[in-house]
Amino acid sequence: MQQRTALPPQFDRPIMLGGALVGAVATPLLVVLVALRVVGQISSPEVVFWLAFAVILAGALGTVLLSNVVHAALSLIFTLLGIAAIYLLLGQEFLALAQVLVYGGGVTILIVFGLMLTNAAEDPVVSDGAQKPFAFGVGILLALVFTVAFLGERWPAVGPAVISGAEFGERLFGDYTLAVLTVGVLLDIALSGALLIARPDAPEESAE
Amino acid sequence: MIPIENFLLLSALLFAIGFYGVLARRSAILILMSVELMLAAVTINFIAFAAYLDPEAFTGLIFALFVIAIAAAEVGLALGIVLRVFRERRSSMVDEASSLKW
Repeated sequence: MQQRTALPPQFDRPIMLGGALVGAVATPLLVVLVALRVVGQISSPEVVFWLAFAVILAGALGTVLLSNVVHAALSLIFTLLGIAAIYLLLGQEFLALAQVLVYGGGVTILIVFGLMLTNAAEDPVVSDGAQKPFAFGVGILLALVFTVAFLGERWPAVGPAVISGAEFGERLFGDYTLAVLTVGVLLDIALSGALLIARPDAPEESAE
Repeated sequence: MIPIENFLLLSALLFAIGFYGVLARRSAILILMSVELMLAAVTINFIAFAAYLDPEAFTGLIFALFVIAIAAAEVGLALGIVLRVFRERRSSMVDEASSLKW
């Protein structure tokens, strides 16, 4: 029988704690959603929506609250992939795929690389600023203002329009060609600039 | 059919969480991640309004795609700057890179 390598003991507590926390929150949510679906209160897309809603907000809270930067970056991945599910629910298949590719792939890897090239490798735990209570108050206030403003309005009761990738491509390269080219040039300039800024100054310094 | 209010609620909460992160964090890369959250919240709003209210005009969808593209460029450039600052000062905390503050 194959002997499995035990995880380092410092992982024991976070894994047990995180697993218990996720289970304690996710199980009642699942039970409630499935019960509502069975009773007929909500439709199947809404079940998916509320699951994605929970994943996105839990990931976002993890991103801003966890003190270990690597954990925060991993938590961000959940949020970004949950948002791809939201795009699918909104009927935008191309944007959902672009979200998975650009954010789930590129941006996350870039951020993790950035963490590892700065001091995260030696000291991944950072403290927040002293302005934290103020930031908390502003965040709550902003959430309240936006929620009241959005939900106080009467919106037309229509469903989302499903837009296929082919239609999206036709409109994108037909009506918005100049904008696409401009974004291409912008990406080129930005990434060349990033390379220029990040590379070492003089070759003799980096050689030794 | 999901009412549009659900998406607007999600985007409002996500934006507030991202805003809290931008204000409260000290590490430059964590601030960048919070900015990503705010951009994602705005993109959800763009797409929800475009898909529900005006699917013929397409403007919101195109703009959402550009937000995604420009956010990618922004992350690349910002990480370049963070690496540079880290090399000069051995720290990526924004409150320790305060030479522009007089």
